[in-house]
Amino acid sequence: MLLDTKQRRELARELSRIANASVDEILGIDETAVEVRARRIGITGPPGVGKSTLVGAFAKSLAAAGRAVGVLAVDPASPYTRGAVLGDRIRVAEATDDAHIFMRSLSSRDANDGMCNNAADLLRVLEQRGFDDVLLETVGVGQAEHAVKTLVDTVVLLLQPETGDAVQALKAGILEIADIVVISKCDLDGAQRMRENIAATMHFGANRNGGWEVPVLLVSVESDIGLEALSEHIDLHGAWRDANADRRAVEAERAGYRLRDLLTRRIDTVLGEAAGSIAERDVAAVYRWVVDRL
Amino acid sequence: MIAKPGLDGHDVGAKIIALALRDAGAEVIYTGLRKSPEYIARIAVEEDVDAVGLSVLSGGHLDLVTDTAGHLADYGGDDIAIFVGGTIPAADNDALEKAGAKGIYNASQRIDDVLASIGRLLTA
Repeated sequence: MLLDTKQRRELARELSRIANASVDEILGIDETAVEVRARRIGITGPPGVGKSTLVGAFAKSLAAAGRAVGVLAVDPASPYTRGAVLGDRIRVAEATDDAHIFMRSLSSRDANDGMCNNAADLLRVLEQRGFDDVLLETVGVGQAEHAVKTLVDTVVLLLQPETGDAVQALKAGILEIADIVVISKCDLDGAQRMRENIAATMHFGANRNGGWEVPVLLVSVESDIGLEALSEHIDLHGAWRDANADRRAVEAERAGYRLRDLLTRRIDTVLGEAAGSIAERDVAAVYRWVVDRL
Repeated sequence: MIAKPGLDGHDVGAKIIALALRDAGAEVIYTGLRKSPEYIARIAVEEDVDAVGLSVLSGGHLDLVTDTAGHLADYGGDDIAIFVGGTIPAADNDALEKAGAKGIYNASQRIDDVLASIGRLLTA
């Protein structure tokens, strides 16, 4: 699938329309499903670990194999001004010269979970356009990005060498959401040791994951190591998921996320209307008032 | 979108404007250095931005604005406003406006005034 100039313009506008849509507008969307075959891949990990660099190089490597790649890259909005600087373009500049790749930068806006407003609907737009791979790059706030797990088929967690010892790897949180762990910048010292630490920790979680052994891959974008292996492991995870995951439970979870996302925004709107008087009334009274207004 | 077309490698001004726009509540995409007008136009359309701000300190502002406007039209983005800032002699303002620049700014202007002007021109 290749988009011509006119189709790229249309897709860009459609993504804006969805990204800017109010709760009511989202509720009005026609949800007639089209059969899709996209791999939905989430790329997450702490700030500075190289998510954008990996996304750019990975998209390029997928495009070189003839796949059409849609990318959504989320960067954080200021909680004070709602403004944002979206810098992912700088890292993926080369990749976007490729006609097989379509990328959109997004501000996290009201979302507090590493996503952006209407993330579920944006992913759906790309999927229904016929992209083979849809990459979602999260904000990268660290240990609070469970939403990505719900919205994509395969979560790739990116870590870099020398960022924590074996005890760090034992902590609950972000490691638990990974379907595949990638150690980036693997030509740096300590990559192999880190891989062993993480792999040992992940092995203990295999039962909880329903038997999926989380692979820990070494990747270096600079030295062009590991990108093909990453794509192969995403296929392996997809096949495992097809065989083992309950598709209806997955759909229910995604629908639940979308609903909660819309409700959260509605709650924020109502809370905003109550802001002036919250401090003067007791919490039970405000709570009842808010619930009534919903 | 704040963009650096051409080969000049000075982007302090571009970054300051990007930050000021962010603090004014805008969502700003920064392209990084040394991008071609073709790339800038293509990305502006893909990101569906409202405006492109070109930062030019090389003296090539007229050609770069002209080229960017041409490529924006080719990609179906002729509704995207162009602003230009940098070392721009006042004598070039008329030609820049004819080439498609909606707002023209230089280092002697206050950031608040630049932001107010951009805001005014985008909502007009």
